[in-house]
Amino acid sequence: MNPQWITQVRRYRHFYLFISPFFLLFAVFGLYPLLFSLYLSFVKWDGMTAMQWVGLGNFRRMLDDDILRRSLWNTLIIGLLYVPPMMIMAFVFAQLLNAPWLKLKALYRAALFVPCVTPMVVIAVVFGVIFSPEDGVLNFILQRIGHLLPFLHFQGEIPWLTSEDWSKVSVSILVVWRWTGYNMVLMLAGLQGIPADYYEAAEVDGASAFQRMWHITLPMMRPTFRFCGLLSLLGTIYMFDEVFVLTNGGPGTSSTNFGMYLFNISFDQFKFGYASCVAYSVAIFVFAAALLVNRLNRGEQEGA
Amino acid sequence: MGLSRSVRLSVYRALICMLLSAMAILFAFPLYWLLISAFKSQAQIFASPPLWVPHPIIGKNFTDLYRETNLPRAFLNSVVVAAGSVGLSLFLCSLAGYAFAKFPLAPGHGKLFAFVLGTMMIPSAVTLIPSFLVLVKIHWINTYWAMIVPGAVGAFGIYWMRQYMSANVPNDLINAARIDGCSEFGIYWRIALPIARPALAALGIMQLIASWNSLMWAFIVLRTPDMFTLPVVIYLLQGEMRTPYGMLMAGGLLTALPLVVAFVVFQRQFIAGITSGAIKQ
Repeated sequence: MNPQWITQVRRYRHFYLFISPFFLLFAVFGLYPLLFSLYLSFVKWDGMTAMQWVGLGNFRRMLDDDILRRSLWNTLIIGLLYVPPMMIMAFVFAQLLNAPWLKLKALYRAALFVPCVTPMVVIAVVFGVIFSPEDGVLNFILQRIGHLLPFLHFQGEIPWLTSEDWSKVSVSILVVWRWTGYNMVLMLAGLQGIPADYYEAAEVDGASAFQRMWHITLPMMRPTFRFCGLLSLLGTIYMFDEVFVLTNGGPGTSSTNFGMYLFNISFDQFKFGYASCVAYSVAIFVFAAALLVNRLNRGEQEGA
Repeated sequence: MGLSRSVRLSVYRALICMLLSAMAILFAFPLYWLLISAFKSQAQIFASPPLWVPHPIIGKNFTDLYRETNLPRAFLNSVVVAAGSVGLSLFLCSLAGYAFAKFPLAPGHGKLFAFVLGTMMIPSAVTLIPSFLVLVKIHWINTYWAMIVPGAVGAFGIYWMRQYMSANVPNDLINAARIDGCSEFGIYWRIALPIARPALAALGIMQLIASWNSLMWAFIVLRTPDMFTLPVVIYLLQGEMRTPYGMLMAGGLLTALPLVVAFVVFQRQFIAGITSGAIKQ
């Protein structure tokens, strides 16, 4: 060992001391679990009886797991149902709340944002009541709208939580409600980060509102969009509380997303080995996908 | 002759205000429904047409809740867990953040910081089962420790504190304190921490929301009713056959209220805390 290096380390011993709690906790609740989980991916284990080495058995089993496949499919559908409306609404609201002339900004922002601080379990219970098929307030309102606008041929009585076709829609509505304000606030921060002189210069050059949006706002917002998109990707795949409380994955497996499925095989069926294998595989896949999206984005930016 | 430009502008602005108000009402509606349903009987909750304003106001849900669940205990558990995890996380994250901000010349500084950031990419779904098993092994299942310690230091918190401290804590002040014989920990505690108060508030709020609302982890590591936090109690009220919705709503209201009130009072810090994640781009 280089003696100079040792004196340097001694000189900065407080640095190591101050950061050590993180590394200690990470070793116990991060690194060790990560390695142990990798090991578990190759065994069959219920947490009680002896572990049984199955080699690639878990991976092979994953390929014919219909429920896993369905949960990934449900995850994709839920994502497609909620991400576009949520992002568009968040962007529109952020744009409106960024207007300098608008009054009561804090009030609007609070109303849109308060869902994010409300405990999920409470919200899911309230939505369960609102979604109730016969006497829920949502169907009541929809029926009234149906009466007012007969040409829609709308009957009301949508089985929000009791039908396999609607359960994913209900979960998506809940997620839009909960996360729109959050994304709006992120986008508002992004919008406020765009230098005002860009717009002033564009206005001097006679650019229309549409042109300003297209040539200044949207390109400048790209990092924010990417960040929100990444959060939504992870949020969709590992979403749990929302589904757990609102539908518990049902009816049947119609709203079981990946997070719910993983919880079920881990803590309901105690398939610790198989669950680790599935969690690892999907995490690696998601990581690769995120990396790829990032790479493509960067390439596009450099090309432009 | 068309409308004058200023008339058109004010019509346009009025429309935007109306749209925003409508959306604000729509987004606040479920919370209003929670509030009024807590004061309705089971029959009134499912009345058709719905009761928009509870009449008469019924307090029975709260007394039922008090009788059938150990609500004060759950509230206490939630408070202990939230206070513990906010306190510990603020202390450890700011300590490490301070070190990363103010000792840039320590050997290995860059690599260690990169490592800390790298841990952000590990999804908790992968480490869930082994973390649970660690807690079983060290006999922390069904303790406050299980709720507080594993999530206490996150990479993000360290990053957030480092950014703030390297921008706002002057090196001259640190050097002057050092010359005056202040210990390294004393410098962190008496100089850096007070300056970093806004960053601490934002991070603390984020941790508070996560801790107060935690359901899955609480559900896994807490076993006996005397240890349950509020979300677990609320979740378990939902019966297989008949769910006491009135009690659920009352309990839900009591669970949501502290955070909603805190949010209304500290709106600026809440939003700073929640958007802090976006700063890193």
